[in-house]
Amino acid sequence: MNILGGGIFSGMAVTLKNFVRSYFDKSRLTTNDYSWQPDGELPKSIGEYPREEGEQLSETTTITNYSRNFPMLLHDDGEPMDTVRCVACQICERECPPQCIYIEKSTEKKERDGGKPQFYPAKFDIDVSVCMSCQICVEVCPFDAIVMNSQFELSSPDRFGGLLLRREDLLKSNDYYHKIHPEEAEARDKRIADEKAAKEAKKKAAAEAAKKKAEAKARDEGEKKGGAE
Amino acid sequence: MNLDLLKDILIATVPLLVIFPSLFAFTTWVERKALARIQNRRGPNRVGIPCTRISLFGLGQPAADGIKMIFKEDIVPRGADRFFHLLAPILALIPAMMVLCFLPLEFPFWNAQIKAMRAFALDSAIVFFFAVTGLGTLAVFMAGWASRNKYSLLGGMRAIAQMISYEIPLVLSAVIIVMLVGSLNAADIVREQRFIWFVFTPWGFTAFVIFFICALAETNRSPFDLPEAESEIVAGYFTEYSGFKFALFFLGEYIAIFAISGLAVTLFLGGGNGPGAGLHPWVPIAWFLAKVCILIALMIWLRGTLPRLRVDQLMSFAWKFLLPLSLLNILITGAALHLLAAVHLHGGGQLDALTDRKVDFNQIIEAGNPWVIGGLWVGSLLILYVAARGLDNLTRSKVRPREYKYAE
Repeated sequence: MNILGGGIFSGMAVTLKNFVRSYFDKSRLTTNDYSWQPDGELPKSIGEYPREEGEQLSETTTITNYSRNFPMLLHDDGEPMDTVRCVACQICERECPPQCIYIEKSTEKKERDGGKPQFYPAKFDIDVSVCMSCQICVEVCPFDAIVMNSQFELSSPDRFGGLLLRREDLLKSNDYYHKIHPEEAEARDKRIADEKAAKEAKKKAAAEAAKKKAEAKARDEGEKKGGAE
Repeated sequence: MNLDLLKDILIATVPLLVIFPSLFAFTTWVERKALARIQNRRGPNRVGIPCTRISLFGLGQPAADGIKMIFKEDIVPRGADRFFHLLAPILALIPAMMVLCFLPLEFPFWNAQIKAMRAFALDSAIVFFFAVTGLGTLAVFMAGWASRNKYSLLGGMRAIAQMISYEIPLVLSAVIIVMLVGSLNAADIVREQRFIWFVFTPWGFTAFVIFFICALAETNRSPFDLPEAESEIVAGYFTEYSGFKFALFFLGEYIAIFAISGLAVTLFLGGGNGPGAGLHPWVPIAWFLAKVCILIALMIWLRGTLPRLRVDQLMSFAWKFLLPLSLLNILITGAALHLLAAVHLHGGGQLDALTDRKVDFNQIIEAGNPWVIGGLWVGSLLILYVAARGLDNLTRSKVRPREYKYAE
């Protein structure tokens, strides 16, 4: 039979242990570390947010490898608008739970580097004051065009316009994506390449099958002809 | 105007107006730091001396918060009742400030001849304390009602239900001390605890536990912070408050915490009594404030530990557990006092000595047979503990562990 209210005391012992040990065990204070990698060793001094005015986090500084904040638009190497992956299909706009994405489709198709002509987003705005970072847009995108950025220094003195990210702010290169989320980007690139290869293999197989079929048909017809003679 | 009167008023009130708000600023910093450490974070560590790079463990944070609060825009919702929306934070602060006057703190400034240094030495201080703190509830509901916001209103209604429920065991546990001392005067109660603080008597201990739990609920501290439950109703009754009005609410809440901790120290923890209390007039004040700070630290610790209660748990805890237990405690205290009187009579005292307060509690304890008194001590504690266990079993909800039919 345990003492009345004993649960409260054991809970208080747990919190006291946390309180005391956080002063001695630096590895407990993981939230303040901006450079820690999940598989890497702990840095000698715990990284902290820069204190001095000139000293800023670089664009590629991530909180951790797996952090995510707001979406960005991916483009491949080359001019951003020539290689943008987005074709303005507007699936993300429809799926977005807080409806923070606004897309205007272009009126005519545009030539791409190494691809057929496609539509492109004439306008692509994300209101990050509304976005809840749910990542559903990333899940539904069939073109791997929208992924999560981990840029978090977005504060602005402008309450309305400052938090509305335009297409130009959202466009980021695939290299940047590789820098901030290496594992995720690699996996995504591999999947895209596999899919492409599979598609091509299928196409080849289909073409071969069609060729065989045509040959067989021709042979059949030849035989028929021969039979008739 | 009589200059001496003005001087007396200033001596009595200025320390209260300086000590407690600065204690408030410090407490907010301590609370944030302690909670952060409990959750393995660092807490505020940036703000220090302005224009330098000295951060002093973030000690400048309260000042920075204050400056921010003053310069923030004061937003009043369009549908709100502007007058009551303004009145509520003021009404939340004033009763909390007022009850500080009833605490037995006597500041010995420049002249030891000025005896009654307390702002308001009243014979019925305890009654007044509860009467005035009751006004705080009104301010909370006023804020909830005037904001014209569903979350504010829900928070206000929760606050009313909670504060009224917990007021009863709170007052009933203070009654124990009034029974033991036979006076409502705070200074008398402190004087009575020269040798033994009331928390070390079985009745006083039970009453102290009940009092402390109810004090947490009265001041909306975690785990009883339902009126401002962030995950359920945004910020409760001060959802629509911003800027300085919010700061006033915040200040009022903390001052109320200091006041009720001060009352707990007065009633149960011996007030300014402690080793060396007679050496210098400032020592009792230091003891008093130190004890208040220990209670505040305990509250912060509990806030870091316990999750928030559900509304029905809160109500059933007050009405089915605390109220019967405090009533039983009163009964047992009465019986024990009669027994002590009988022992005193046996030792050659007079029967009416105790009831007429010709002899004080300490003298009876000293004069009495130690075996009888020890038996009384152990017996009372045993009865109260068994009763508490019984009540706990009665009120515990009979829920079996859930059986899963298909899932593992």
